[in-house]
Amino acid sequence: MSDDLLMMLLADARLPVAGHTQSGQLEAAVRSGLTAEQVPPFMRSRLASVVRVEAGTAVVALHRLRAGLPLEPVCDAWAARTPAAPMRDTSRTLGRALLRLVRRLFPDSPHLAEVAGLERPCRPIVLAAAAATSGIAPASLGRLVAYDDLQTVASASLKLLPLDPLDATSWVHELLPGAERLATDVAPLTEPHHIPAPSAPQLDLWAQTHAHTTRRLFSA
Amino acid sequence: MPENATKNDRGLRIGVCGPVGTGKSSLIALLCRELSADLEIGVVTNDIYTDEDARFLRSAGVLDPARIRAVETGACPHTAIRDDVTANLIAVEELEEEFAPLDVVLVESGGDNLTATFSKGLVDHQVFVIDVSSGDDIPRKGGPGIERADLLVVNKTDLAPYVGVDPVAMVSDAGSVREGRPVIALSRTDPASVEALVEWVRSELARHRGGALVPADPGPMAPHFHADGTSHTHDHQHA
Repeated sequence: MSDDLLMMLLADARLPVAGHTQSGQLEAAVRSGLTAEQVPPFMRSRLASVVRVEAGTAVVALHRLRAGLPLEPVCDAWAARTPAAPMRDTSRTLGRALLRLVRRLFPDSPHLAEVAGLERPCRPIVLAAAAATSGIAPASLGRLVAYDDLQTVASASLKLLPLDPLDATSWVHELLPGAERLATDVAPLTEPHHIPAPSAPQLDLWAQTHAHTTRRLFSA
Repeated sequence: MPENATKNDRGLRIGVCGPVGTGKSSLIALLCRELSADLEIGVVTNDIYTDEDARFLRSAGVLDPARIRAVETGACPHTAIRDDVTANLIAVEELEEEFAPLDVVLVESGGDNLTATFSKGLVDHQVFVIDVSSGDDIPRKGGPGIERADLLVVNKTDLAPYVGVDPVAMVSDAGSVREGRPVIALSRTDPASVEALVEWVRSELARHRGGALVPADPGPMAPHFHADGTSHTHDHQHA
């Protein structure tokens, strides 16, 4: 079997992994004035920053799982590149959510058992273990991370802004080449210090502000 | 991991759902007040837009504020209690780990419509709350919560004279669609009704501990009739 169907399964928004609780900082951005027209640049800036870190982390973790190398340096490299504490916390919570599902799907996976033994693994590392188990290639894993982020923001934008749902999906479609480039860039990475380290201080600030607001639709 | 524990090794998880404004938070505050002296309790709330319910419960002073968690559901309360319960389940598990052993965890759904009920994957038992001021036709409208939740509460019966509703008829209408499942007409000013609610929780907790409680799904669909004269529920698929 090709990995296409497993990719579709893992990329499906209907997956019970708490995706509907996430806006990828879009809710905080809208609160501080981001308009509907600015959502595509917002998505692009995520691809250039936080998503790059997540995808790089996933790919390096995948390599190390397959090579039998320890994952702790990957966890540390990811944490060092994710300075906002609420973002780290969100990724770990989503990692727990994803782990619950994939352990049910692949109960005998040694890769998932290894990741389950880590202290609060972040989402890209759990995703890497699912990829290692199901034979998903590094570039495919990068595509999965990037695509999921585009759809998370697009889907949240429909709840937060006055939009035609067809517009939101068009934005995702238009940004697919960017997602493909990102996946190609990170696919060859094998070492924790290879993981890109861009910074996006505005996203970090939004994540931190959002964590302290009491009026919100989305968890993050 | 907690999900591997057999059900009666952990506390009883009770869901409270029903339309907006029917008194779900007040009912939970009431249960905490009546039960927290001798039971260890945790609460998870699912407001749609604020943490108002969690704050209400914390300010009610009936439970240690750390035992009350608000979960944001991305404006999808129905999804969060039924299709993708992950965020709620994680909150429940965290409470159970942090305050072990808990006897009861109460999960309050964000106010939704008459069709929203909990998944068996999230709670063992569920209470559906309606109130007299929503109108006496609500029980007759039915739906999975009204017809098949483990307990139906008709709340705020003390307001009945002011909204021109006969609570006795409302309870009777509800009873006729529930095939013997319990209905409690509740008012926080009526100690006997409060006692009936508290007793229900205690007896369900005893059944849970004894392994006799088997979660039942109210289901998304009412039993219905087909043109060929057959009727069925949606425990199985259409042919």
